[in-house]
Amino acid sequence: MPARHLIIGGGTAGMNAMRTIREEEREPSEITLVSAERPYSRMVLPYYLDRSIAESHVFTATAAHLARWKVKTLIGRRAAALDPQANVCTLDDGTRVEYDDCLIATGSSAVRAPVPGADGRGVHSFWTLAEARRVLDSVSPGSHVVMVGAGFISFTILNSILALGAKLTIVELAPRILPRMVDAVGAEVVESWLKAHGVTVRTDVKLASIQDAKDRKRLKFSAGPDLLADVVIMATGIRTNLDWLEGSGVAVQQGVVVDEHLRSNVPNVYAAGDVAQGRDLISGGLAVHAIEPTAQEHGRVVGANMAGRDVRYRGSLIINIVEVCHLDAASFGAWDDAHAEAMAGLKKDRNAYRKLLFTGERLTGAIIIGRSNDIWTTNDVGMLKGLVQSAQPLGRYKEHLRRNPFDVKTAFIAAKTTSTLLPETVLGRPSKAPGDSPVAV
Amino acid sequence: MNVLKLTPERCTGCLRCEIACSYVQTGAYQPAKSVIRVSPFEGHTSYAPYTCTQCAEGWCMTACPVGAITINGAGAKDVVDDLCVGCKLCTIACPYGTMFYDTSTRKAFKCNLCGGDPACAHACPTAAIEYEDVATADWIGDFARERVSHVLALEGAR
Repeated sequence: MPARHLIIGGGTAGMNAMRTIREEEREPSEITLVSAERPYSRMVLPYYLDRSIAESHVFTATAAHLARWKVKTLIGRRAAALDPQANVCTLDDGTRVEYDDCLIATGSSAVRAPVPGADGRGVHSFWTLAEARRVLDSVSPGSHVVMVGAGFISFTILNSILALGAKLTIVELAPRILPRMVDAVGAEVVESWLKAHGVTVRTDVKLASIQDAKDRKRLKFSAGPDLLADVVIMATGIRTNLDWLEGSGVAVQQGVVVDEHLRSNVPNVYAAGDVAQGRDLISGGLAVHAIEPTAQEHGRVVGANMAGRDVRYRGSLIINIVEVCHLDAASFGAWDDAHAEAMAGLKKDRNAYRKLLFTGERLTGAIIIGRSNDIWTTNDVGMLKGLVQSAQPLGRYKEHLRRNPFDVKTAFIAAKTTSTLLPETVLGRPSKAPGDSPVAV
Repeated sequence: MNVLKLTPERCTGCLRCEIACSYVQTGAYQPAKSVIRVSPFEGHTSYAPYTCTQCAEGWCMTACPVGAITINGAGAKDVVDDLCVGCKLCTIACPYGTMFYDTSTRKAFKCNLCGGDPACAHACPTAAIEYEDVATADWIGDFARERVSHVLALEGAR
């Protein structure tokens, strides 16, 4: 009997797992996909929001595509319970799906600040495609949009809101913007850039309630003046979709705890993406990295292991980039490690900032901010990732970088980082192009 | 597959590769849009070209959320413009710094080996850039290591 793989979640991790199963397997297997939504990419929703792409562009697989992959789909259904003893997943409509192995890839959901009025009309999250549609329907030229939360999600849609002709105000509870992506100096560079581009930013303010004010919304704060908004977007964080695993016996901390093969404590139950708590490449400890590249790599490693290969994952690396009004801000690895040796350079006139964090001779974290049209910025983003990913010992180039944190390219090339990186692959073989996946059945 | 084999000892820093690359890739002579880039070493007495290695992993390709980076007939990772949304994830996923973003087209761009007939190799007058069927390698690391020693020594003396 062919192996029966159950993929729970049609996001990035689930899609990559299914594709890799089909790339790697020697014997045809059965794949069943349970997904609450049609598979699409959250990464591209900001470009749907600014109307630079059609809605059809967001989908990562059509029904025909999944049929070619011989995937049995249960779309619109959610997993409600897992019984790892019986190898059965029960869905929200009572359907029971038996499996030989399964992947938990249920991702995460947006959460709203717990204030009165947070669930009212005209208050939105921006996480799912359905939420993106509602935001797109409600913003028009001249609208005043207030975004609650100055984190990564807000910043990914900031350009889109402005492109729709709206006026934008961002309010943040923390004393500064992007508290989980850049340090205080970097935040100051980005904040002053935003203000110079007509975005109002209010930090260190606590939202108290959101009330109806005729056709508009009134935001009240514990201190300071009210704000009147046409549209409120709550970008106040995400939470891992784990509740349905309660009582299943699958071990959960901040996420499903997984080993180097991305198996949970139950050997035929894997987890990947936002819901998995796996190895962090830099610290070696366990962490939830709710970012796209981790979901991709997790998904591919799980797919290979489900197909019968023995692929160990070396760990995921936090990488983030946002562009706001043609200013890039990116960070890598342990950029906020208080124990690391930090060296930084700031060129205010060029809106350019670099922070390099060393543990011994190795770069373990980095922050880079600069204008998008500055070749200096675009060259360095990738090389900083390469230095952190490769853990290349930088020897005497470390002192060179201390003197000039902007001369990353020289250090990268002369330390022979390319030699270390070239043999590295996630699956122990060259990657296949997205259209190349064979259909084994 | 054929790759761009770089011999930095032969590079004179003339930048013809950058001009040819940008012309073939964009239709205009604009080295800022070139995907092969010449760097000076040892206080502008030495130069070396640097470009995409067409690495086995293809970090840019596997990172793309919409499958907009594929492998073309020459074996090069290549951006499909109609699919690229400009999210920049590939620019931070590529650990070599050879994935770029064009602010005017709002798309990512990279070396695609000109589909199998790379303009930079044609343009190079000293054969510092050749297109050959050899394994890809760290072509300029040893050269750079040697040619930055003078600069590092000067810094140390201060």
